[in-house]
Amino acid sequence: MSIAVIRFPGTNNEDDVLRALAQIPGAKPYLVQSRKGLAGLKDADGVVIPGGFSYGDYLRAGAVASVDVIVEGIRDLAEDGKPVLGICNGFQILAETGILQGVLLPNQSARFVCKWVYLKVSEQTTLFTENIENAVLRLPIAHAEGNYFCPEEQLVPLWDEGRIPFTYCDSRGQVTDDANPNGSIDNIAGIINQKGNVLGMMPHPERASRPLLGSTDGLQILENFVRATK
Amino acid sequence: MDIIHEGKVKRVFQEPDSPERVIIEFTDTVTAGDGKKRQVIEGKGELACRMSEYLFGYLEGKGIDTHYVKPLSGARLLCRKVAIYPIEVVCRNIAAGSFCRRYGLERGEPLRRPLVEFFVKDDSLHDPLIAKDSIILLGLLEEDVLQFMKSVTLSANYYLTELFRQQELTLVDFKLEFGSTKDGHVVLADELSGDTMRVWDNDSTSVDKDVFREDKGDLIEAYTQLVDSLKMTRPEDVSLRPETVKVIVDPKGGIKNPPGEVTKKALVRLGFSDVEEVRVGKIFKIQLKRPLTSEILNQLRMMSVKLLSNPISEKHEVSLD
Repeated sequence: MSIAVIRFPGTNNEDDVLRALAQIPGAKPYLVQSRKGLAGLKDADGVVIPGGFSYGDYLRAGAVASVDVIVEGIRDLAEDGKPVLGICNGFQILAETGILQGVLLPNQSARFVCKWVYLKVSEQTTLFTENIENAVLRLPIAHAEGNYFCPEEQLVPLWDEGRIPFTYCDSRGQVTDDANPNGSIDNIAGIINQKGNVLGMMPHPERASRPLLGSTDGLQILENFVRATK
Repeated sequence: MDIIHEGKVKRVFQEPDSPERVIIEFTDTVTAGDGKKRQVIEGKGELACRMSEYLFGYLEGKGIDTHYVKPLSGARLLCRKVAIYPIEVVCRNIAAGSFCRRYGLERGEPLRRPLVEFFVKDDSLHDPLIAKDSIILLGLLEEDVLQFMKSVTLSANYYLTELFRQQELTLVDFKLEFGSTKDGHVVLADELSGDTMRVWDNDSTSVDKDVFREDKGDLIEAYTQLVDSLKMTRPEDVSLRPETVKVIVDPKGGIKNPPGEVTKKALVRLGFSDVEEVRVGKIFKIQLKRPLTSEILNQLRMMSVKLLSNPISEKHEVSLD
């Protein structure tokens, strides 16, 4: 089905996402430039906001993009129950819009972190993690502001409602401080909205979607996303 | 009409048809020296009223919020009803009057930049000069209101100075009062006339209340000259002056601030061992097209919440300093 892959000025992962989605049967991904506004989302059955440095990450990562006109269209689609996936900068943008709760702060190390990490998939089934519940995935991260934070009153429901599908872990699936690459609260690597159709995650599933890239662990997440657009 | 307030030279009446409006009547009384010198000079009220009408209208046109609504017959103005703050704001460009006596300066000495002073509006205390910190400590004004008044006073100084300059007149100093409307907007109030400002012509001759204060001639003649000069000004030739405000965004307490932590480590590495903690925030300098108003201040707060800061992790503050 039709999947709008949004490119803001400064987005730079759109080609990776388009290629990764294109190999999944039934997916019709297409590039939408953010300046197209609401018209760009007319036929979309789902939306991916890829990573990069939208608007140069000025102000705060994702902040300027979060007030773009096209975001209102993304908000409408999300409210309609259409699947929305924000990867890396896409997650930062979704958090800045308030579509997802919390904020991505500068990494605790104050450094850009670019490496492979392991993710523990939660045992609760979500739209995006069907068939990989409890799995340990190997995906790359590359970000300077991936330090997820939200106040306690939001954190408790996130856990209670099974809306934390991914946490950083070690190769054996142990969620430890040492495995936390950026200081995220409770090792959170991704969260889902209350309705269950919007996922934001810092790791890059599209960069782990074919053997040549060193891992195919991200493919299932993208496949689940594509299935949800139908 | 019900009288709400009777001052030394003005009376304030409730406008019968609108609870949020008042009628201000300018009397012919003129006072000086803390009310010790007092005289009734026929026609003074009307002239002070016309000056106020003209200058309030002019400042409104430049974007400054005032209480002025429209002129009425006689020496009367229709104004918004406000609660007057207990602080008088004085702006000085050239040393004169009490400023010279207080600091032993020559009349006419130019000041390097406009000076804003605050006085307690209380006749029984003889309207004493008061420091900013005292105003806040005594609860006479909130700090943000005080900063706002200072900013608007400096804007008014620019616009009035430029207007008088067109007629080769010099604005030496002036006094402003502010009030808050029912909806909480802080607006310029009271009057703007020869009674509340010093204006000198080319050879430093007063065309204001100093004529009366210092027995230097005919007050009506001076005020008539001032009104006639104002009528010949071209307000449209005075260009808008942008105002700069700052929005300060800081990481909230309890939120880790990695940029601050690495900065601290680097400072200590350089030998600045007294540094205990560094937290890095942001300052936005925002240039506004026109003078500050309560409405623009509200907009600045909205900007801070909607974009400039992330309220989850940051606090924000509008600074007019």
